[in-house]
Amino acid sequence: MKNSEIGRREFVQLAGLAGAGLVAARAGGLEPLLGFQQNSAPAPDAAEKELVLRAIDAARSAGASYADARITRMSAESVNTREQQLTGVSRSERYGIGIRALVGGSWGFAATRDLSNDAVSRTAREAVAIGAANDRVNPVKTALSPVKKVAEGRWITPHEIDPFSVSAEQKADLLFKTNTSALRVKGVQFVNSGIDSVKESKLLATTDGSLIQQTFLRMLVNVDVTAVAADNSDSQTRNATIPPMARGWEYVVGLDMPQSASRWAEEAVQKLAAPPVEPGTWDLVLHPSHLWLTIHESIGHSTELDRARGYEANYAGTTFLAPPDRVLNKLRFGKEFMNVNGNRTEPGALATVGWDDEGVPSRSWRIIDKGLFVNYQTTRELVGWISDLTRDRESQGCAHAEGWWAIPFPRMPNVSLMPNSRDLSEEEVIAETKHGIFIEGNGSYSIDQQRYNFQFGGQSFWEIKDGKRFRMLRNVAYQSRTQDFWNSMALIGGQQTYALGGTFSDGKGQPSQASSVSHGCPVALFRNINVLRTA
Amino acid sequence: MTQQGSSIPTPKRHGISATEARQLSERVLKFSKAENARVNITSGIQGFTRSAANRVTTAGVQDDISVQITSAFGKRVATIDTNRLDDTSLERAVRESESLARISPENPQYLPELGPQTYSDLDGYYESTGNLSTESRAQAATLGIKAADAAKAIASGYIEVRAGSQSIATSKGLFGYYARTGVSSTLTVRTSDGLSSGWAGSEGADWNTIESRRVADDAVRKCQEWRGKTSLEPGKYLVVLEPVAAGMLLGLLRGAFDARSADEGRSFFSKPGSGNRIGEKLFDSRVTLISDPSEKNAEATPFAPGGLPIRRETWIENGVLKELAYNRFWAERQGVAPRSNPSNLRMSGGDASVEDMIKSVNRGVLITRFFYIRSTNPRTIAYTGVTRDGTFIIENGKVSRPVNNFRFNQSITEMLSNIQALGRPMRVAGEDGTVGAGIVVPPMLVRDFNLTSISDAV
Repeated sequence: MKNSEIGRREFVQLAGLAGAGLVAARAGGLEPLLGFQQNSAPAPDAAEKELVLRAIDAARSAGASYADARITRMSAESVNTREQQLTGVSRSERYGIGIRALVGGSWGFAATRDLSNDAVSRTAREAVAIGAANDRVNPVKTALSPVKKVAEGRWITPHEIDPFSVSAEQKADLLFKTNTSALRVKGVQFVNSGIDSVKESKLLATTDGSLIQQTFLRMLVNVDVTAVAADNSDSQTRNATIPPMARGWEYVVGLDMPQSASRWAEEAVQKLAAPPVEPGTWDLVLHPSHLWLTIHESIGHSTELDRARGYEANYAGTTFLAPPDRVLNKLRFGKEFMNVNGNRTEPGALATVGWDDEGVPSRSWRIIDKGLFVNYQTTRELVGWISDLTRDRESQGCAHAEGWWAIPFPRMPNVSLMPNSRDLSEEEVIAETKHGIFIEGNGSYSIDQQRYNFQFGGQSFWEIKDGKRFRMLRNVAYQSRTQDFWNSMALIGGQQTYALGGTFSDGKGQPSQASSVSHGCPVALFRNINVLRTA
Repeated sequence: MTQQGSSIPTPKRHGISATEARQLSERVLKFSKAENARVNITSGIQGFTRSAANRVTTAGVQDDISVQITSAFGKRVATIDTNRLDDTSLERAVRESESLARISPENPQYLPELGPQTYSDLDGYYESTGNLSTESRAQAATLGIKAADAAKAIASGYIEVRAGSQSIATSKGLFGYYARTGVSSTLTVRTSDGLSSGWAGSEGADWNTIESRRVADDAVRKCQEWRGKTSLEPGKYLVVLEPVAAGMLLGLLRGAFDARSADEGRSFFSKPGSGNRIGEKLFDSRVTLISDPSEKNAEATPFAPGGLPIRRETWIENGVLKELAYNRFWAERQGVAPRSNPSNLRMSGGDASVEDMIKSVNRGVLITRFFYIRSTNPRTIAYTGVTRDGTFIIENGKVSRPVNNFRFNQSITEMLSNIQALGRPMRVAGEDGTVGAGIVVPPMLVRDFNLTSISDAV
């Protein structure tokens, strides 16, 4: 689930912050990237290292059979504007330690911002006490899959310019230029824009003997252009749908936003005059800036193993892909040319890491192979449940916590749809469509708790007639069922159309945690999809 | 402060006290060289116990503080948020907010910080919640697990506790403090074949109002009653929305009462031509929506982040739009008094129970709760989402059989014009089980509710 604009998080504002390329399967192909990173990534801070080791020692002494400790320093900056005004500049830093302990078969977790020696030891004992209390009331068994010890691991997001080295003034200036360019288009009255930068330093120690220092950078840019009808009777907004990326400031500069803003502005104005869509059955050509979210909701979430196990039943839900022995290597998700990889290795993608929060090295694996469902997303606690079916005994490295204050649990890796081996262009895919709609960007999105029934809107909609785009439509949403939809995929574009989309705010779990994830995909054609009018 | 027995030592409250908040704010403001400065502090704990597959899966606690420092020079303003409290870190944060402000372009909407304000003297902190132990949470979770076990079903639940405080201080002498607690307990019970699911929840500020037994019994009962679901076509139906379902939709209105977007022509409350629709009758006469920080067991902070008091407000009265929220900038521009956005919400109701409503229905659908609700059209305040955990057809005044889930596409404003009956308001739990703003709403009987397609999900 992607967090909505109106959250229920305002109670105590403690939880969370605020909401292209490589394609081939790369199982085992990560070493070169890691090797490179080892040389340039920062080493652990000596004081932090002492604290995480103190934490796991204290947990072990108090009776934990396994423990891990993470110190994270999460820096976030947000620069926001509307029209020619600055509406906010803010920076935040959350620094602290989270300790997880396994006692008997029960997990206990405790986290504190107090990084004094005493507080860290006390918090470690509290994590153990919580685990022990639960084990007394409700004893259970938990087994963790084996993992190789990483004596000293280091990793940093590949980037050129640290966004925190760029002033807020420079960022605001770029946004003002973008806004000006949009406001030049007649009919455009409002522009909201913003740049979010995140830098996260994470030091992990586990009782398996691993000590891993990683630094992550993430960039999110948002531009909303609104046109209002002359008589106030209607307003339409075009969101730029710029993919957030795990890269540095160079990514934002390379977007050339002032140039693109006039196109978004023109489309906002065109939307006001565009005819509403005629509801019914249409072919859809979905651009990667749109399709990534459909992949996220219908494939990304349905292939989470904790959902199949019922661990998310009370909120995010379960999945139609259960029980594993009935669906693994049996359920047909789509046609022969449909291949989907899970990975934490794709350059620029938001879920890419060196190691996960259990010290498991990142990797890439097939989730859907030639249309067949072949694997889930796993962690050390979960993989044993299906390893007889997949013959995969090691975790795929999907454990993640949003920060020191949160407990690690299974989170989505990058889940990407592989492009056509024939390098078809967008035009070539559109040319195969007689009566269709081309959709760019994300609008409204909603899917049920087992990932069957979904409905998606978009940002701009173009009617396709006889293989060509010819006019803009509005108020379009399509509704389908996951398996029907993917089996209706008739053609996909090639590498040249492949791009990443993603979010900073994939929400899951209780307490709900946000995570950042990307999905790569080519442009794709779907036949005979039910389209509704949303006005 | 609630007084406890004199011989029993009172455990310290979570979050910093008013005195500590004042001292910490003063330490920050002493470092300040800005023309205007503000300190917003939030502190406290969040504790949780999760269960699934009839076991406790995770449990934990986090303790944090957020010190937010806003510095302004003229209309150049910036904010820094830190959780490091030593003098060096605080001074560094103040200096950083000042240097960030100095290099920032002017924000024409920024107004100088407020001086002393009068806030209602509220205490939203319940010791019953603040002192809740890990064992008590585990026992409450076990109640759900045992109830499910006895019914040969599978429980997954979540109990969350929050306890802490908020404060505000400015260089102009303003100080405000508010302490509060919140607790939420939700439970899903599913049959082991995965073909039926039931849910129940309870939320409040006071742990003593959390009905763990009722939650366990209701979730098991819903799961049993929904077993053997039959098919029902999509369409427009007369629906009974249980309070939780009604609350999930009505809570979304809180964000819509914004004067500026109405005046700017981009909201449901925009008047064609120009201006907004204050004074117009827009909904059924029985619709009255208020927000009130002193709402019992749904208390809310009596001040906004910028320092404006949050008072009892009537947004809709007998179907008429009475007020919209104006931030200080927009209020000054429009020549009206500023008014804060609602932080909680209460909808008035009637005396009918859900059972009474069902008796009055010839043919309709009973909805337990919704999931994944997202906006489809801000101009009509329209949303889509799905039903889950107990959907039934009502025939001749009786719940006659369980039916499939639906996706809905429904304008909330239209829904508020289509009311047949309202029941007794209650505080409801939210979709994600996290302690949220206090939403107090009645069950609703609404005609022409638009169930647009079937959802196969359980």
